[in-house]
Amino acid sequence: MLQQAFNGLVGGSFYALLALGLAVIFGMLGVVNLAHGAFYMLGAFGAFIALDAFGLNFWVSLALVPLLLGVAGAVLERLFVRRLAPLDPLYNFLFTFGLALILQDLVRREYGVNSQPYPRPRELAGTVDLGLFTYPAYQVFVLAVSAVMCAVVWVVLTRTRVGVIVRAATERPELTRALGIDVGRWVTPVFGFGVALAAFAGVLAAPMRAVNPLMGADLIITVFAVVVIGGLGSVFGSVAAGFAIGLVSALGNLYVPALSQILVFILMAAVLLWRPAGLFGREEAFR
Amino acid sequence: MRITGWSGGLAVAGLLLAGCGGGPGGGGKISDGGVVLAVLNDQSGIYADTSGRLTIEAVRMAVEDYRARYGDKAVAQKIDVVAADHQNKPEIANSKAQELYDREHADVILDVPTSSAALAVATVARNKKKVFIDVGAASTELEGKSCNKYTFHYGYNSYMLAHGTGSEVTKDGGTSWYIVYPDYAFGQDMERTFSAAIKAAGGAVVESDPTPFPNDNFSTFLLKAPGLDPKPQVLGTMHAGGDLVNLVKQYNEYKLRDKGVQLALGLLALSDIHSLGPDALAGTRYTTMWTWSMDDQTRAWADKFQARNGKRPTSNMAANYSAALQYLEAVQRAGTDNSDKVVEQLEGHTFEDMFVRNGTIRAQDHLLLHDAYLSQVKPSSEVKEPWDYEKVIRTIPAAEAFQPQPDPACKL
Amino acid sequence: MLRVDGLSAWYGEAQALREVSMRVDEGEIVTLVGRNGAGKTTLLRCLMGLHGAYGRTAGTISLFDEDITGLAPHARARGGLGYVPDDRGIYATLSVEENLTLAPVRKAGGAAGPEPWSLERVYETFPHLKERRRSPGTTLSGGEQQMLVLARVLRTGARLLLCDEPTEGLSPLFVQRIGEILREVRAAGTTVLLVEQNVHFAATVADRHYLLAEGRIVESLDRDQVREREHQLLEYLGI
Repeated sequence: MLQQAFNGLVGGSFYALLALGLAVIFGMLGVVNLAHGAFYMLGAFGAFIALDAFGLNFWVSLALVPLLLGVAGAVLERLFVRRLAPLDPLYNFLFTFGLALILQDLVRREYGVNSQPYPRPRELAGTVDLGLFTYPAYQVFVLAVSAVMCAVVWVVLTRTRVGVIVRAATERPELTRALGIDVGRWVTPVFGFGVALAAFAGVLAAPMRAVNPLMGADLIITVFAVVVIGGLGSVFGSVAAGFAIGLVSALGNLYVPALSQILVFILMAAVLLWRPAGLFGREEAFR
Repeated sequence: MRITGWSGGLAVAGLLLAGCGGGPGGGGKISDGGVVLAVLNDQSGIYADTSGRLTIEAVRMAVEDYRARYGDKAVAQKIDVVAADHQNKPEIANSKAQELYDREHADVILDVPTSSAALAVATVARNKKKVFIDVGAASTELEGKSCNKYTFHYGYNSYMLAHGTGSEVTKDGGTSWYIVYPDYAFGQDMERTFSAAIKAAGGAVVESDPTPFPNDNFSTFLLKAPGLDPKPQVLGTMHAGGDLVNLVKQYNEYKLRDKGVQLALGLLALSDIHSLGPDALAGTRYTTMWTWSMDDQTRAWADKFQARNGKRPTSNMAANYSAALQYLEAVQRAGTDNSDKVVEQLEGHTFEDMFVRNGTIRAQDHLLLHDAYLSQVKPSSEVKEPWDYEKVIRTIPAAEAFQPQPDPACKL
Repeated sequence: MLRVDGLSAWYGEAQALREVSMRVDEGEIVTLVGRNGAGKTTLLRCLMGLHGAYGRTAGTISLFDEDITGLAPHARARGGLGYVPDDRGIYATLSVEENLTLAPVRKAGGAAGPEPWSLERVYETFPHLKERRRSPGTTLSGGEQQMLVLARVLRTGARLLLCDEPTEGLSPLFVQRIGEILREVRAAGTTVLLVEQNVHFAATVADRHYLLAEGRIVESLDRDQVREREHQLLEYLGI
């Protein structure tokens, strides 16, 4: 039971990392980034390509791939997302959706639909004795590194000048500009950072999950439910909801396997009925 | 431009007669000026690699082999291969099948993976009175309640996969099982056959759990497995594609093999072994209809295939080659491409080829009975060349490999 | 100091401002009075460069004889404009102190402006803000929130404050306090453009008044004229 709960948290790590990036991007730009799952997939493929074509190991990929994709995300924001932002939100909705399909198909064209091989890093091949039970080292690593990543983002947001600006721009972008802050200058790195987080999750997933063009599309639907449950644009809410949903689905698989497919969505519907803005969201987020 | 209609057909037939000086049976028995083989399958989705475009190439190879064998004596002098993408959707499969039969004048449709799509095409074939040989789909409904005079099921089905692995592995001493299966029609169907085969062979299913589909986190089930009472010796799964890769990666994470829980699969594609690496699956047993490295005959064909396409063929591609070849052979024997006459030739036909051993097309339900194989994944130390991952450990005779009796629900 | 020439603004097809021309001189307190919907808030938003998201504008705005019509809002803020929006604009996700320190302090460049208020001075003047400096900004009372917003722009060293109805919904005590602060900052060299419905309050603090109706400036009045015509104006404003 305890072990299963731990399990759920490991699964929740991926939800949390992805939801965090989505929430930051949505908050700052008001853009629902439908290509987020595709960036997660590209992260995993990035790790695969780095190993396959350049012989770069997992650790190098974990640093390099998110960096490169983050830069790509920033360029994308500059070239496209920014131009569409003043128009109806539907445009960026369609743009990111189309982008996701294009990226998926490009990868599929190149690598096919089958999963690509990716080994576990040698250093993390064993198991760890956690006192109450032993656990695969790699999974412990995933949980720890995701928790640290979320904590770092949290500290940056709450304790630094950058965090104050991002929070202010998330809440009232226009007023923040009127107070002398060049919000536009911050939008690009924030978008890039959100993309980098998705890519980071993708690299983490490569050794333990199937690396194929559809891996992001399959996962992102649940992540959207997580973001909605946590509250659109709420950074704390999406991380908390990410880990919570991981826990709920692991225990759901165990006790009510018949419901496991739809449990997350039942939860989402219930939360929406009870608190339309999500658990940690504010109504203003919908303006 | 295509010449259609009775007079047009006659005109072309006349030209053909003049051209080839009259073959056996006469070219005049071939409708619309030629035989058209249509491949309807998934060219962009999850089956694009196991089936997809290279399957069309396999069918072209069958056409070439037929021509080489009969030359001037071939009943079908003009043979076209056409293809369409059904995107694994039954409604698209339905309209594409109609298009292929009506506009492209297809005489036979081949492949069609995804059971719902295959069942849709079977209905079209029945209505149009045209031949359909399904290779890619697993559902036993094709030879059960949805069977019809013009539909054939060729290669494998869910019974063969589940029954083969379930009974053979149990006979080898893996008597207690924990089964996980994807929670949709195919998985549920496989789970029933699997459990029945295990029990019939004297084994027991300790527990069986449905999993969400698609799913990337199987840890709940894998953690639970060694703790079940009694502890299962075999983890049986019905997953395929990405889900299977996820499951196997995590099976290795939790070191279940070291904990005495072996892995046995219903369905395993060559590409899955490649993506996981043979060591992740080493020792895993599963059932297959064909493997390219099986013997000299299959190797020779696989070499030819590789020279042409740069890849080793999947079993599905080999099966489509065989189905196309056997269709053309039936046309040759019938002397015409008239559907009813060809069906007559196929029913009860006993044969062997590169793909089929001890084959019979059962007349009562149009299911191809042939040898299947219990196979095992080699550890990387035994892998001698690229894609050489599989070894056959036992042949399952044709009589045992498939349903022993036709489904009474099938009325041709 | 501030000159507006022929400023027009639209929301889609609907015109909200019609060729407004006006000026504010250094050291003045000028009010814009008018009924709801007359275009007062739109005018301030245009001055701040915030109207672009809603519709097009025409005309020119210059600050210290420099054309700022094409500048982005943050550049205008750095040029010396301090904006107090009509809904106060307190950030719920920021603490009181973060609300105060969010806006960057203007570097005194070229012409000397008023001395920016230090955080110490803000806390000295508004001790209550210091007590609550760790709480979310929106947990303050309405009056305290207004103090916070004023303190926020004063801390930046803005040279021209654009205040959109700072007294709205406040108790007489706080209205009086705001009047004191405005007079105090004016004495220190800050200029103020005030949108105000409270004619009596406007008359007590302002040097000049513009009366805005249906997007046009219909009258320009000095302090004495307003006192004489207060009743007439109140009637006109429908209060």
